[in-house]
Amino acid sequence: MVEGCFMLKPSNILKKSIWVFHLNTGGCNACDIEILDVLTPYFDAERFGIRLVASPRHADLVLLTGPITRKTLPKVVRTLRAVPRPRLVLAIGACAVGGGIWHDSYGVIGGIEALKRVLEEQGVVIDKLVYVPGCPARPEAIIYGVAVLLGIAKPKVKETEVEVIVR
Amino acid sequence: MTVNKELIEKIRRKIVSEKGDLINRIYYEEGAGLLIEVSRGNLREIAYYVHEILDTYLRTVAGVDERPIKGVFSAYYVFGLDGYGLNIIVVTHMPPEDPKLPSITDIVPSADWYELEMYDLLGIRFSNRKLYRFVLPEDWPEGVYPLRKDTPYNIRPKPVKSQKQVLSGPRIPVGPYHPALHEPEYFELYVEGERVVDVEYNGFHVHRGIEKLGESRFTYQQVPFLAERICGICGFVHSVCYTQAVESAAKIEVPERALFIRSILLEVERLHSHLLWIGVACHLLGYDAGFMHAWRIREKTMILAELLTGSRKTYGINLVGGVKKDINNDKINATMKTIEWVENEFKKLVEVITSIPQIVKRAKGTGILPRSDARKLSVVGPVARASGLKRDVRKDYPYAAYKYVSFKVPVYSEGDNLARLLVRVDEVFESINIIRQLLDQLPQGPIMSEEIEIPENAIGVSSVEAPRGEDIHFVITGKDNKLYRWRVRAPTYQNIPALKVMLKDAPLADAPLTIASIDPCFSCTDRIQVVDLSTGKRRTISFKELQRYNICPRCGL
Repeated sequence: MVEGCFMLKPSNILKKSIWVFHLNTGGCNACDIEILDVLTPYFDAERFGIRLVASPRHADLVLLTGPITRKTLPKVVRTLRAVPRPRLVLAIGACAVGGGIWHDSYGVIGGIEALKRVLEEQGVVIDKLVYVPGCPARPEAIIYGVAVLLGIAKPKVKETEVEVIVR
Repeated sequence: MTVNKELIEKIRRKIVSEKGDLINRIYYEEGAGLLIEVSRGNLREIAYYVHEILDTYLRTVAGVDERPIKGVFSAYYVFGLDGYGLNIIVVTHMPPEDPKLPSITDIVPSADWYELEMYDLLGIRFSNRKLYRFVLPEDWPEGVYPLRKDTPYNIRPKPVKSQKQVLSGPRIPVGPYHPALHEPEYFELYVEGERVVDVEYNGFHVHRGIEKLGESRFTYQQVPFLAERICGICGFVHSVCYTQAVESAAKIEVPERALFIRSILLEVERLHSHLLWIGVACHLLGYDAGFMHAWRIREKTMILAELLTGSRKTYGINLVGGVKKDINNDKINATMKTIEWVENEFKKLVEVITSIPQIVKRAKGTGILPRSDARKLSVVGPVARASGLKRDVRKDYPYAAYKYVSFKVPVYSEGDNLARLLVRVDEVFESINIIRQLLDQLPQGPIMSEEIEIPENAIGVSSVEAPRGEDIHFVITGKDNKLYRWRVRAPTYQNIPALKVMLKDAPLADAPLTIASIDPCFSCTDRIQVVDLSTGKRRTISFKELQRYNICPRCGL
């Protein structure tokens, strides 16, 4: 693969319908059923070409829900490695964003920030990451998150540097 | 929980006269049940007596590290006396230097998982059985037991090399970890050709250390928010169950209006959960139109939940002593309108589903769980009711406002997938009926009790009928406004072992529906490993792919 193509914005590569893979890393199911809600008649995201696929190798975008538990971590890394680049991730829900209510429990390693550190060690790159907070994230927010990721809608927050205290 | 005092005395005298010489102490504690203290040498005999002679079923087992207060490890075996609304709790203590118990799995088969869990999380060993790593991840070091009081809740031990033996033989993994749609849970099906021979479960991927967090970082009034996040589908069940357990331990009177509001929300939650399951069942049978229709109807119940509580899920209105949010007349009217719409639409959908011969044929006679096995394995909820056991916590151990309403408990004797489908269909109509009755009778008054004082070292047991079955919380109160021990037992915990019976000798094509038929917290069976015993070949396939054995025309929803 040509390294240069990753420098492009995802929206330049993914112009048409986007295929998503749903990855529950140990969540409570609330965000997961909201994702399903997005795909069923009331919200019907398939009209935007958003379609759920069964294999990470077919996916353009990973919908990551839940805190990353110790038991799922190796499997999550393998799954993300299988996703072709540009590797896009939507961190859905408070747990995926920052570990949520479980952030310092013995059973989990934390949220996506902790996962990113592990991924970095193992050489798996995430090309673009968008956070969708909420407990659970609302279906509207999930659709909005996908739109932000593709560059269709503008994010409501600006990027600012904050100091993160890591234990 | 109110139980007839005379009845308790009768049972107490019966136990004392028949097994008095084996018992150290027997006493009744309000809010918990009849406690029987036995030495560990007599545990097996008493367990046999309580389970077989008194005809009870195992509801939960809680291992407790009571070294800081009593200097011992303890195990609380909670048995339920069906139909009487009484818990019989067998308590046994172990010295701290030798935490060992005799296994009771040959007497009570459903104790299997509880023993493994106690071994894994508390370091209690069991004689006469195989013990192995169960809940904790493979790389967790030996000798670190998270539920012991001297282990901090935020411990992060360095991973050790996994001890697990890798199975020999060619292995063709198709796709890595594969939780598409579902939660990360994992079954291994052993097959001979197309016939399922055995099934093994490898779960607890979602072990987040909730019990330990509830005992350490959270105070009494914060735990309901944590409890709601145990499960995103039936979260309110857990928060009600927890608050009830603490209320019964501390003998707090909850205002009637709060009880009504809790019941209404529990039924709204049941509506959305059953509609979700019926949709998923249709999807697994390759009938995607039914799936979409069920979810279209379900969306109205989500909007209703938002109207009543402010959130679509994780309602966050429950506290020890009452609820935070009231229901006014506008909301009552809107609720009435919504449930009427849901009822009409659902009637139409059910007519269609039950008249499609392909659906009925696939569900009828598959995944049979006979009544005797259902009893032996202590299954709960719709699974038990579809196998002819009339077991419903709302009737057996009345809580919240269920004593004010009349409703039927649907029971089918066939024990197959169709029976489990029909139980849930009937329950949707019953739920609508219950919500109507509750809204009609909603009493006036406060929604939060004024005085909340929680004593130390009180035991509370409470159960709630979740959409999937009976959910039980066991609490021991502690000091500093915190719990000493919190044991959560979700319904799927009791039901998964029954899959062994249901799947045995069934064709592989029926496996997805059968596994989903226990509603394992939204068919969390993401990945299934198929092992062909005749050739010894082992390959891993995803749940989605297994569906291809069915008539599922399009994969990926």
